[in-house]
Amino acid sequence: MSKLQVTIDGHEYEVQLNLAGQNGAGLNVLVNGEPVQVVIPTPVLPGRPLEWLVVDERPYEVVMDPDLTWIQSASGIHRMMVRDLEAFSGNRLRGGDGRVTAPIPGLIARLFVQPGMMVTVGQPLLVLEAMKMENEIGAPVAGQVLAVHVQPGQTVARKHLLVEIG
Amino acid sequence: MFKRILIANRGEIAVRILRTCREMGIESVVLYDASDMGSLHVRLADRCVRIPTAETFMDGMAILRIAQEQQVDAIHPGYGYLAEEQSFVEACTELGIVLIGPPAAVLWQTRQKLDAIQKVQAAGYLTVACSARAYERAELPELQRDAAALGYPLVVKSCRGGRGRGARVIRSAEMLEHAIQQAQKTSHEVFRNSQVYLEKAIWPAHMIGVQILADAQGNMVHLGEREGSIIYHNQKVLQESPAPFMTEEAREVLCRTALEIARLFDYQNAGTVEFLVDRNGRFYFSEIKGRIQVDHPLTEMRSGIDLVREQIRLAAGEPLGMTQEDVHLRGWALLCRLNAEDPWQQFLPSPGQLLRMRVPTGAHIRVDTYAYSGCHVPTAYDSLFAKLSVWAPDRATAVARLRRALADFALAGIPTNMPLMQQLTEEPSFVNGRYHAGSLSEPAIVDSPETDDLLALAVAAAIRYVQRHQTLNPTLPERMLSGWHRDSRRLG
Repeated sequence: MSKLQVTIDGHEYEVQLNLAGQNGAGLNVLVNGEPVQVVIPTPVLPGRPLEWLVVDERPYEVVMDPDLTWIQSASGIHRMMVRDLEAFSGNRLRGGDGRVTAPIPGLIARLFVQPGMMVTVGQPLLVLEAMKMENEIGAPVAGQVLAVHVQPGQTVARKHLLVEIG
Repeated sequence: MFKRILIANRGEIAVRILRTCREMGIESVVLYDASDMGSLHVRLADRCVRIPTAETFMDGMAILRIAQEQQVDAIHPGYGYLAEEQSFVEACTELGIVLIGPPAAVLWQTRQKLDAIQKVQAAGYLTVACSARAYERAELPELQRDAAALGYPLVVKSCRGGRGRGARVIRSAEMLEHAIQQAQKTSHEVFRNSQVYLEKAIWPAHMIGVQILADAQGNMVHLGEREGSIIYHNQKVLQESPAPFMTEEAREVLCRTALEIARLFDYQNAGTVEFLVDRNGRFYFSEIKGRIQVDHPLTEMRSGIDLVREQIRLAAGEPLGMTQEDVHLRGWALLCRLNAEDPWQQFLPSPGQLLRMRVPTGAHIRVDTYAYSGCHVPTAYDSLFAKLSVWAPDRATAVARLRRALADFALAGIPTNMPLMQQLTEEPSFVNGRYHAGSLSEPAIVDSPETDDLLALAVAAAIRYVQRHQTLNPTLPERMLSGWHRDSRRLG
């Protein structure tokens, strides 16, 4: 039995579930202690993210980002946070550190910062060119620029470390 | 009629064009670079020629070489790239190849945007106010003087532009220098031309285009107007026909004026006469576009006329064969552009693999796309990957149908502007049709009230988390349990 805290649009849900107990009749799921009837399509294909499920006889098609920070359904997009209440590593929050990586592959067009500079949240760090667009990459956190790992004209892959802020 | 057409474009518009070619019994030749091989236009064409890079689409000489090798009798440029490039039209003509679109003589007049505005002004029509000439990179002082004379707010526009590329609104003199540099840079990147001019902004405004068709004998009809005032990040995202703010009388005058202006240029083939309309309903001519436009399905749904077929027929010298009385515009059409862009991250492009795509179906729904489940949205091209259009007898039904179709449209793998579209179709000012350019707020993720739906989504997230956690830390690897594994050990 796993125990998770899921926060969607600021509303908290404590979800307990046991995937191993999966059978034709559905999953055993408790939300805030109340049983909820859940059916997921079987067989579950390894590596394929969950595309849809039935909760209390209503179907939901869902798309989530790999970091589980948002979830999208027919009703639109929602902010989300998932916390494992039983994990020993404690409540490690995703993201939020000062390591800025390339969200998409592209070309470094311009650099606005150098090591030692102080930056505020959202302050442009550099311009990443991709898909015929100039994309400003802003600082995710406030602080001092510890390192700049790229140069103008350099091509970077997705997730390439660009700038570190501490 | 033509036997074989080279489609000098890619993506959804190449798919759109080749479908009509096939229906007309014309062979199609398409182009692709290595990164774009998976796009639908390559898979559906009669012939596909590989080009070295995405840049080749801009290279008129290379395109002409391919056209000759492939022995085509015409080239369809789609939009962007070589569309409306008068020198390219002339080069084609010299080789006996027809460029599908207005003839060079027409383009020489309409493509000089400033000259075109002055010509229309001289004929006694209202036009947007603009700078006396176009400017190059080094002419900032002159530009600043001209800007002060015109007065703010201003729009800086690319002489070669289109699809909002290179267009920027400037509210004050301090913003001018930076905006000019940005516009010239974008314009140079996209169109290989850094000339810009200034236009006095009309605010609030509606952006309206009137679709026209004309043959070489001077026969001309209009197919009504399209409104494209909902703009985010300099791109029209949600468009409709007819324009909801217009009365029948105003529409009548506007469309008649569009035809009169087109006649000033002896216009031929399909085109769009574009206007800005101010809050008092006065309309100002801004330019004539001589290409097939992104939002053309709106007109096709209301008129039942295949605009690409008309382009091809007219370019082949056939007569228009219809009068204004033959044109019947029915009902209401809406179109939204689905882009591989993340609206919550300043519209950052999001190329990558589209793991899943299921398009909506049902009556009066149309999807123009090059994509499908499993295909790649390439980095080298525009982020537009699909257009969703719906039709209904009236606007309210059309809005409901668009919402339904968006909910049916399943996309996964890369972030798209789909959630923005869902949000827009709920915006009161869109729903009641009382919007203008800039009146819809920037998108934001709005916290929704607690519902059963959120509870279900929480369950989905929890399942996904547990599934992934199990695959990352399997207690007993699956392969250990299978006989294959044991056998392989025994053999070793």
